Amino acid sequence: MAEIIIMPKQGLQMTEGTIIRWLKQEGDAVKAGEPLFEMETDKLTITIDSTAEGSLLKILRPAGEVVPITLPIAVVGAPGEDWSALPGLAASGDEPVQPSAQASDGRIFASPRARLRAEEKGIDIGAVAGTGPDGLIIERDVLAVAPAAAKASPLARKVAEQAGIDIAAVTGSGPRGKIMANDVRTAAASTAPDEEDTVIPLKGMRKVIAQRMKQSLADMAQANHRMTVDMSEIVRLREQLKALSVKVSYNDFVLRATAKALSEHRNMNASMGDDCIILKNAVNLGMAVAADNGLVVPVIKNADRLSLTELAAKSSELAGRTKENRLQPDEMTGGTFTVTNLGMYEVDSFTAVINPPEAGILAVGKMRKMPVVLPDDSIGVRPLMQLSLTYDHRIIDGAPAAAFLLRIRTLLENPALLM
Amino acid sequence: MIEKARAERIYTKMNEIRSFESKALSLFEENKLRGSVHLYIGEEAIAATVCSSLRDEDYIASTHRGHGHCIAKGARLDYAMAELMGKATGYCKGRGGSMHIADLSKGNLGANAIVGGGIPIAVGAALASKLSGADRVAVVFFGDGASNEGTFHESLNLASVWKLPVIFVCENNGFGITVPTWQSTSVTDIADRSHGYNIPGCVVDGNDVEEIDAAFQKALAHAKAGEGPSLIECKTYRWLGHWTGDPQVYRSREEVEAWKKKCPIIRYRTRLLEQGLFTETELDAIEQAARKSADDAAEFALSSPEPDPAHVLDDVFFEG
Amino acid sequence: MSIKTYAVAVRDTIGDEMRRDPKIFIMGEDIEKQGGIFGCTRDLYKEFGTDRVRNTPISEAAIVGAGLGAACAGMRPIVELMYMDFTFCAMDQLLNQVAKTRYIFGGKAKIPLVIRGQQGIGRGNAATHSQSVETIFMHFPGLKVACPSTPADAAGLLRTAIRDDNPVMFFEHKALYATKGEVPDDPDFMIPFGKADIKKEGSDVTIVANLLYVGRCLEAAAELEKEGISAEVIDPRTLVPLDIDTIVRSVKKTGRLVVVHEAHKNAGWGAEIASQVTEAAFRYLDAPPVRLGTAACPLPFNLGLEGAATPQISEIVEAAKKVCYR
Repeated sequence: MAEIIIMPKQGLQMTEGTIIRWLKQEGDAVKAGEPLFEMETDKLTITIDSTAEGSLLKILRPAGEVVPITLPIAVVGAPGEDWSALPGLAASGDEPVQPSAQASDGRIFASPRARLRAEEKGIDIGAVAGTGPDGLIIERDVLAVAPAAAKASPLARKVAEQAGIDIAAVTGSGPRGKIMANDVRTAAASTAPDEEDTVIPLKGMRKVIAQRMKQSLADMAQANHRMTVDMSEIVRLREQLKALSVKVSYNDFVLRATAKALSEHRNMNASMGDDCIILKNAVNLGMAVAADNGLVVPVIKNADRLSLTELAAKSSELAGRTKENRLQPDEMTGGTFTVTNLGMYEVDSFTAVINPPEAGILAVGKMRKMPVVLPDDSIGVRPLMQLSLTYDHRIIDGAPAAAFLLRIRTLLENPALLM
Repeated sequence: MIEKARAERIYTKMNEIRSFESKALSLFEENKLRGSVHLYIGEEAIAATVCSSLRDEDYIASTHRGHGHCIAKGARLDYAMAELMGKATGYCKGRGGSMHIADLSKGNLGANAIVGGGIPIAVGAALASKLSGADRVAVVFFGDGASNEGTFHESLNLASVWKLPVIFVCENNGFGITVPTWQSTSVTDIADRSHGYNIPGCVVDGNDVEEIDAAFQKALAHAKAGEGPSLIECKTYRWLGHWTGDPQVYRSREEVEAWKKKCPIIRYRTRLLEQGLFTETELDAIEQAARKSADDAAEFALSSPEPDPAHVLDDVFFEG
Repeated sequence: MSIKTYAVAVRDTIGDEMRRDPKIFIMGEDIEKQGGIFGCTRDLYKEFGTDRVRNTPISEAAIVGAGLGAACAGMRPIVELMYMDFTFCAMDQLLNQVAKTRYIFGGKAKIPLVIRGQQGIGRGNAATHSQSVETIFMHFPGLKVACPSTPADAAGLLRTAIRDDNPVMFFEHKALYATKGEVPDDPDFMIPFGKADIKKEGSDVTIVANLLYVGRCLEAAAELEKEGISAEVIDPRTLVPLDIDTIVRSVKKTGRLVVVHEAHKNAGWGAEIASQVTEAAFRYLDAPPVRLGTAACPLPFNLGLEGAATPQISEIVEAAKKVCYR
């Protein structure tokens, strides 16, 4: 029997989406799990897979149209099938079809247990159809969203098979509860909370960080280089400046070196576009700050044009305002590269995750006095610091990335070059 | 004639009761007592005389006007006063107040705020005595008003049928709160009701120690011989209102004054002097000692601590 | 183990205990030669004499009060009330005296008193002899409340009641006296207060009931099984102390609660359970808790009317289905 493809609800607040383009034409064969169309909502572009198998019998809403959620946009079925009497087609007015569990003020009526299950399974309760009295969403409605075997992406099935997981037991987070590959990966690792466990609902900054981190690793091909820097010269220079009452932190030196290196290696100051690589003109350096409620990355605009002391002043001021929660929105956006320092947490070196849509991130470790082999093969003691560069291999290869990192090291070991 | 030791005990208790009640009245008027107190002033002879023949292991149950019986049965004035003030050092740790003073170690089953509430309880204590073969009696004090409660009738019948060693002492002070007895009670002499239950009954002057004692000794012997209960009606009068602050619109000042002239303490004092048992000095000393005890009790109570609210849920049940 | 009727289980327990402790005696109406109207003291007077098994006049207030006085004076009395409806004749003694004496004496009294008797529908005894009154005694602090639904529960709970140093209101049921069941022979067999019994395990809906309604709910559960609904039937056994944890744990599992009792629905003890469960397990509820109880009228004499006023098995089934959204 023919099936209706609807405009799926993709975000908690989403009420409508724009069809960017259809990836199939009427008459094309469509497999379940195959990309069918692209839609945009709230500046996010999402590729939606087909939930049905067969032939794309009809595109009800063409590209460019704005469609309220849950409304029909296409029909998939057996070639030549008469789909005109399909139930659900009737709902094609311009207002979104409210599942009656939702009051007109946006309230969702669901039993507490249904909400609990939705939370446990990572399902958006608002996307669940309620079959209780007056459309109340009840437990079994949520359980039903953990779908039957058909509703999983092909990649998800492969991952499930490889991991030895029963795909039917996995909760899907894709459109209409479809199981995506990451759901399977998550299921492989997680268990539902026990009575004694503490359940913290995922929301706010934590939710955003969770989504972005996952997305970063999923979208990019991240690789990593490490170098050890002899900071002797920086230490000396810093002491000199300190004696002259000029306050500059070790991290400020790193920021200065990085900004200069970026201005020279424009291929690191880039991001992935639509089938293209964008080399950003401005060097907007993000510096990771651990704030109370999570990781925040304020951005120093045009960092390469600032002197060391100007950079030091700016970084100090931004860090201060970050901790007081007084950053302006434009100070948190527009970054082209990020520096993150866990030296104060005793970390020697670490691999950072790139902040999308940047091309790289520099992770700075703790400076420690270590024994080194000097040019004359004797053993000396030097303050060493480890740098770790994570870069998007789609944009830049290993050699150029290494050259970039080497430049930073050179600048730090020869600060005269920073003038 | 009552022998000297017991006479002294009677006279001491009468004065302790009078001093304690007077002190309680002052404390109430000074706003140092919560709730209301029902004072026994004028009725002291009954409690003191009856309890002088009881041992610690004999039982009494009392009324809302129970301070007198409690003191006569051996209660300490300080613990009793502390209970009136709801202090942690009170007999009931401040939980019961004036109308529930109890001391099971002295056989005191408690004052009882419910009219007639203590009568069946005393019957139960007498039943226990009989069942266990112990040589104990139970005495229950109650007023004329209580003799119209169902529990009075049920209890007299039950005690009579089972021949229990319980003595029913009715303190007829002429009023059930504000209602005069003649207006509420079908008999003039409540003792007459004893016939309805086939037990001995008699009327005595409740302000005359010796008259009370004669009747009580008979009842006591009757009970100890296994012959069952008796009903003794003591005609008396309460000098103060039913409760502290009672405006007493239901009786005349003259009536009260007339009864005050029949004060049981003065009468017994005269009697004791007549009998040559004590000198004036000795009797004065007893009275003074009583007043001092009451004063000391008030001091003790005033300086005692309040019970700790953290323990409000304790003692609902006996745990293990 | 022996197979006994509920009444015999009660009788044997009283006998065992009286044999063990000479301080225990029982008094009530018609309990001596007659052995109690429901046979719960049959022949006990022959073994223990008429002092320890004594007939009383029809004087509930005096009997209860005497029980209290005897307990304060060191005995361990059992008071049998012929019908628990007659507690109304002794309310002051029960609620003002027995319940409160220990507390208002500052903890200086121990009151090992058992007030036992039967209640409920089943013999056409009409409005004043067929009530379920346990809710009242759950409400006022100072009395323990036990309600056995089987012969074994009756034996175990009654022994615990008799050995408890606190006053216990012990509610038997007239329609359960003839029911048979296995009862352990152990003369020390006791069931602790405050421990609910899961009479039937299930996963879809929690049904809580006492006395006669435990059996009715088990019948309803059998009906529900046929429709694929697995009901868990819990008998609290004692309302004071109340084992709410077992019920809450069950509702966290099933998500649904139905409380069924013979007491009036309005302000009945089911409301207390529903409220406590909602507070403790709100997030786990798929449907609001539901109570079934006797309607808001005195119990009618006519059997059909009585049936219309009291919860029926079909109604229990419907209620369970409703909270399962079926």
